[in-house]
Amino acid sequence: MSIIKKLALVVVSLSLVAVSSVSSAKPFSPKKPVELIIPAGQGGGADEIARLVQGVIEKNDYASKPVIPINKSGGSGGEAMTYVKKKAGDEHTLIITLNNVLTTPVNQPELGIDFFNDFTPLARLITDTFLVWIATEGKNTAGVETFDDFIDLARGNGLVMGGTGSMSEDELLLGMMRGQFGFDAKYVPYSGGGAVAKGLVGGESDFTLNNPSEQMGFYQSGDSKALVMMTPERNPAFPEVPSSYELGYPDLEYYMMRAFMAPAGIDAEVEKYYTGLLHTVYHDDEFQTFNIDDGKLMSWLEGFGLKDFLAIEYEKHGEIIKNFN
Amino acid sequence: METVGFLLDGIFTSLQWFNLALLIFGCLIGLFVGAMPGLGSVNGVAILIPITFIIPPTAAIIFLAAVYYGAMYGGAISSVMLGIPGASTAVATVFDGRPLAVKGEAMTALTAAAVGSFVGGTVSVILFTLFAPPLAEVALRFNAPETFALMVMAFATFVGLGGDDVPKTIFSILIGLALSTIGLDLITGKPRLIFFNIPGFLHGINFLVLAIGIYGIGEMLWTLEETKGKVQMSKLSVNMNEVGRAFGALKKTIMAMNIGSFLGFFVGILPAAGATPASLMSYGITKQLSKNSKEFGSGVPAGVVAPECANNSASTGSMLPMLTLGIPGSPTTAILLGGMILWGLTPGPLLFTQEPEFVWGLIGSLYIANFFTLVLNIALIPAFLMVLRIPFAILAPVIFVLCVTGGYAPTQSLHDVWLMLLFGFAGYILRKLDYPVAPAVLSIVLGPLAEKALRQSLILSDGSMGIFFDVSEKPIAAVIMYIAIVLLIMPAFGPLYRRFFKKKQTA
Repeated sequence: MSIIKKLALVVVSLSLVAVSSVSSAKPFSPKKPVELIIPAGQGGGADEIARLVQGVIEKNDYASKPVIPINKSGGSGGEAMTYVKKKAGDEHTLIITLNNVLTTPVNQPELGIDFFNDFTPLARLITDTFLVWIATEGKNTAGVETFDDFIDLARGNGLVMGGTGSMSEDELLLGMMRGQFGFDAKYVPYSGGGAVAKGLVGGESDFTLNNPSEQMGFYQSGDSKALVMMTPERNPAFPEVPSSYELGYPDLEYYMMRAFMAPAGIDAEVEKYYTGLLHTVYHDDEFQTFNIDDGKLMSWLEGFGLKDFLAIEYEKHGEIIKNFN
Repeated sequence: METVGFLLDGIFTSLQWFNLALLIFGCLIGLFVGAMPGLGSVNGVAILIPITFIIPPTAAIIFLAAVYYGAMYGGAISSVMLGIPGASTAVATVFDGRPLAVKGEAMTALTAAAVGSFVGGTVSVILFTLFAPPLAEVALRFNAPETFALMVMAFATFVGLGGDDVPKTIFSILIGLALSTIGLDLITGKPRLIFFNIPGFLHGINFLVLAIGIYGIGEMLWTLEETKGKVQMSKLSVNMNEVGRAFGALKKTIMAMNIGSFLGFFVGILPAAGATPASLMSYGITKQLSKNSKEFGSGVPAGVVAPECANNSASTGSMLPMLTLGIPGSPTTAILLGGMILWGLTPGPLLFTQEPEFVWGLIGSLYIANFFTLVLNIALIPAFLMVLRIPFAILAPVIFVLCVTGGYAPTQSLHDVWLMLLFGFAGYILRKLDYPVAPAVLSIVLGPLAEKALRQSLILSDGSMGIFFDVSEKPIAAVIMYIAIVLLIMPAFGPLYRRFFKKKQTA
């Protein structure tokens, strides 16, 4: 390292110290361990991210108190959301989202969850993508090479789709595709994306709409292949898989958002602290590498941008559910 | 012979001082979390996952597998000594382990648990070493109809579980099944039986809440009433005679060891089942096939060996779908799987070839972990027996506190503590009315698995039950189903056959 670089480093770190001591006039920092509520079971996609965030924070000492992930998987996220709603004003609770935070308040009105007033959105870190997967040696999908082959086949035959549970993201997505392409499939729910992938390769289902990480093992071994990724562009983790845009289906676009929210009624200081903490995690090298290798999209969003995004997504999901029923 | 080379490499990997230290440390943590009611291998592994970011993946998996493993041993300790299942995997151990302790044979019970665990763990890791790839293929072909057939077989063995009173046993099974339907509908995702709209019911009835309530609180009340608080426990001489007697008692448990090891391993490799169902099924089947099945439940060593052997065997077995298919065979492996992904490994068919050091390091460490947990357990038996020196008047409140924390821990909600107390009183009343409670506990574990498999199968077959009996299309499912039916009607035909036979003789 040259002397100039060293000097620059010293200057930068000094100024950082200065900035932090100025802003620490009235800082918030957690006084006890922070509960990170996961509205899904252990071992799933949200669980994986939550534990990665916990690990990154712990390893680098990004926070003064530990973050403790707690799974509350009941009622498609209903249990977790009810829990966080009750924690209004609590400064030591966070929740990571699946898209079920957008659908469960609509599907289960008896829970009385008001998505826009019961939570404080902090930041979106990642969006996960969806692909159409078939087994390389699937007996009903033999000869299918492209997504168009697949649509032709699916229109004529009742194929079986393995999914992660009723009214979950992939069943809504099937509903969307039913409207767009005019085919229907028999939907068999499994417990989690891993079991879905196994059902496909084991020959019980004909196709799945899994996230990348859920099918990665069988993709790398060549046991299953992807026909399309529902994004505008190809993903470097799956270089040979076409995007829905290049196939001419720009309406076939769908994502899973991995955002974090706090309960309603927390101070602006607290909101700022957690958003800052998440921002640090987001820019951590390990966090970046892990997610990019996994085919996820790094997509930081906070503040008004995030609020707008959530409002649009909420409306979009309401529409999807209405069409689905 | 390639396998032998890999295995030796793996064993040497786990014998490196750093890995070995982690392994022993992991076993000790496992013993502790296993023995603490409410803390099981799931919590233990989940809590420790972040620590593993700072060590290499092979060391990390050796450490966490040792925790998983140690917990399988540890669960038995509080099941036997306190009568509260230390972990869900040790619930079946209470059935005979506790009565043994009360009879003054805690030493025998603990020895049986430790040796049974060792045998189960060793047999399964040998099976794992020799047959991992073909078994992965079996797990891949084992889908919804096969799973349901297996569940029917399990239920068939339970009918014989409650003793001679079949109607009371069926009543108990149905109670368990009804409780297992509370919560989220597995297929439609809609809430079911949410009493008074209490959100706590959304996550269903946690099986440990029921088990701790019935065995911890219910049994304690019953014991207090029976003995007027003057519980006399065993004499506490730990001498070589006692040790010899404890090992001698194991001779009669060879069948239990066989059933536990092989059944446990097989159930373990099936996705989404895991060690808890394996231990319960092993207990049920061992009892059914045993010559002195009437004595089960009153304290026989085979009743301890069967579940303990099976839970260790299953925990090894459940690593197989985790490594080769990337799907968890149990809740704990679900977390290990998450860990592997975070360590930058991709579980799946290629893992064995791409990461041989990791896979064989893990397998090798299981051999070593088995040995160390056995030694630790036998060596610590005198320390565990100290619990019996504590007067019951002091022990009872301690048990109560452990029950409350144990009921709270799995879901971190007070709702479950109240439920646990409620189940405690209900268990006490059922016990007074001479209803068997074990079948209810079993059904609440297997109910959701059976329901899901049944409904998935019926979606696939458009509602036709034929999917379970079609020998040409689904041979595995059909064969298991027919065996299940035979097992189900056997207890009914036994007395009939005997009556018929006697008549012939007298005629």
